[in-house]
Amino acid sequence: MSEPARPELTEPAPPEPVPVDGARTRPDVATPVPAEPVPVGAASARPDLTKPVPTEPVPAPGDAALDADPAAAVALPEPAADSRVWRRMHPVTPAIKGWRVLVGAIAVLGYQFGDDLRNAAELVGDGRWRFVVGGLVLVAAVGFVYALLAWRMTRFAVTDQAVHLHTGVLFRQQRQARLDRLQAVDVVQPLLARITGLAELKLEVAGGSGSAVSLAFLKQDEAEALRSELLARAAGLHVGAGAPQGGPVVEAAPEHQVFEVPMARLVQSVLRSGVTLWAGVFVVPVIVGVVWTREPGAVFIMVPAFFGIAGAIWSAINQGANFRAAISPDGIRLRHGLTEARAQTVPPGRVQALAITQGPLWRGKDWWRVQMNVAGYGGAGEQQTENVLLPVGTRDDAVLALWLVLPDLGVADPRAVVEAGLSGSAADDAFGFLTVPRRARLLDLLAWNRRGVLVTDRALLVRSGRFIRRLVVVPHERTQSLQLDQGPLQRRFGVASLVVHSTPGPVSPRVDHLDAAVAAALLDEQAERARTARANAGPEQWMRREGTA
Amino acid sequence: MTTAPERAAGGPFDPTGVTWTPVSSRLAGARLTAMGITTAIVLLVLVPIPLLTGAAWTWAFPAVVVAPMLWAAVLVPRQVRAHAYAERADDLLVRKGILFRQLVVVPYGRMQYVDVTAGPLARRFRIASVQLHTASPNTNATIDGLPPEEAARLRDQLASRGEAQLAGL
Repeated sequence: MSEPARPELTEPAPPEPVPVDGARTRPDVATPVPAEPVPVGAASARPDLTKPVPTEPVPAPGDAALDADPAAAVALPEPAADSRVWRRMHPVTPAIKGWRVLVGAIAVLGYQFGDDLRNAAELVGDGRWRFVVGGLVLVAAVGFVYALLAWRMTRFAVTDQAVHLHTGVLFRQQRQARLDRLQAVDVVQPLLARITGLAELKLEVAGGSGSAVSLAFLKQDEAEALRSELLARAAGLHVGAGAPQGGPVVEAAPEHQVFEVPMARLVQSVLRSGVTLWAGVFVVPVIVGVVWTREPGAVFIMVPAFFGIAGAIWSAINQGANFRAAISPDGIRLRHGLTEARAQTVPPGRVQALAITQGPLWRGKDWWRVQMNVAGYGGAGEQQTENVLLPVGTRDDAVLALWLVLPDLGVADPRAVVEAGLSGSAADDAFGFLTVPRRARLLDLLAWNRRGVLVTDRALLVRSGRFIRRLVVVPHERTQSLQLDQGPLQRRFGVASLVVHSTPGPVSPRVDHLDAAVAAALLDEQAERARTARANAGPEQWMRREGTA
Repeated sequence: MTTAPERAAGGPFDPTGVTWTPVSSRLAGARLTAMGITTAIVLLVLVPIPLLTGAAWTWAFPAVVVAPMLWAAVLVPRQVRAHAYAERADDLLVRKGILFRQLVVVPYGRMQYVDVTAGPLARRFRIASVQLHTASPNTNATIDGLPPEEAARLRDQLASRGEAQLAGL
């Protein structure tokens, strides 16, 4: 590993100086004010980011350089209660949402008749198809009328504390999402919306699945302006009320691209994934059988399996296409999607846990996949889009992804530590990973040598897996609760498992088969560490953080 | 009330300086009654089979049900004795299990909400259970078999401590 540009975790890897050092928003990091402050490029509504943000912001005229409204961007601790300005979604919304009903109806029909082609052929043959088409037209009409009514009933307002959304035709719903609980903001553009230049704005708060506030659909530039505004407000900046509707109130935070995923690599990675193995296991024998027996009937047995495999490949490519990650003062920004474009923004400190994995077929290329837990995204499904921080990337990309989340790993040589976590084992350990004692190797013959945990000042690193290598990173202040488990076999070998509870998501950190005394000590220390890290962590409103806590 | 096996539950599951509060022994009564009721219902269905058919081997069905129940009935009092909790300055510890042991540490500041529940049977035995929820669905911190007044005290205590250490996620 001696590439010229070896990204270091503590250093921003991009070649040019990043306007905003990711480490700056982390309070634990010693953040020296740069000797010569680099001014943030655009006339931003934020206070100058290179200056330390004051704890108790005083409305100083110099800090609030805003062209539109001089008093608009002053960071007030207690913003004045402002009157709500209710806004509507874009009028084209019903035309886009109405299609869903029709698509659903067609999907049901397809499911009903797709299995039985003969039946479907009869339907077309004897003229009954007119009824089917008529029914579909009726369903579509109902769908559009309902969408229209729903649009009329939907309105939203943004205040300093919350986003209010009123929806519902028959059953009315008034939802209020507190901005200081904001976990992520997504701008989603399904294909139809993309064609018409509209976008959906999704605000994730940590209320489990279905708790997101979805503003669909807005004009794309309006959605993006609203995102900047929401992020600024969530960050603790007071944005002037009564801003002209549609006009950008806050300039988008400057962002800097950190990595991207080339299409060729993505396609190749999908071909090298488990899907291909399954395809080989199922499809090849059937084809061989058909050719052998000259009986094409067997092909139809494969139809569902074929659709499943094709669907999995398609969705992996569709979701991962054009993947780009950037860093901005508002946090991590991810953009991806082929038909459905999605731009996610995860503010600083919102990633609860992170997993870097590598399947056996990716080892030759040294490719890695990075997934994260963000409260609000929820879901543990493998096909979840939002939880992916890096669909496939080189080792450098994976290290960069980790750096995005955790700029300071709390160790002297972060790169080497991460390397040890990714591909090291107990045999070549130089960093003091706590590992499975040799006496307990019978409990885990394959990977006992790999399994290990390292505690740094900032995070817990758990490595595991021989065939599917995995490194899980949990920042100390994001630990929810801890658990110690011991089964009868483990007791026999004097070992125990440590489980770290994180918010719902693809990552569930767990260290198996540690020496019982070591595990117990770790449990105790970790509880203590999580507490201190928590106490030192900055406020949820990330722009109000001090340089050091 | 610490007999030999519970004492052996020390080591990693007995951090130093922690005084455990055991749950009420009435929990054993409640659990045994619940098991008894389930067994009785199943037996009501299974016992008539050999009685009506007269085939001796069909007694195997009720036997298959009763045997594990009897074994479980022996275990229940021990399990209840192993179930304990401890309130520390900054977190709550919950310990349970003998064969499969478990120790959960829940920091007060991570607590999102507390549930106190009591079913009809539990009410008859004058016990309630307290469950702590964090932002993680995996947090398995349930304390069964608390006297109702202790459950109420613990609930208020946890709520106030959680508030004192309030933090986001």
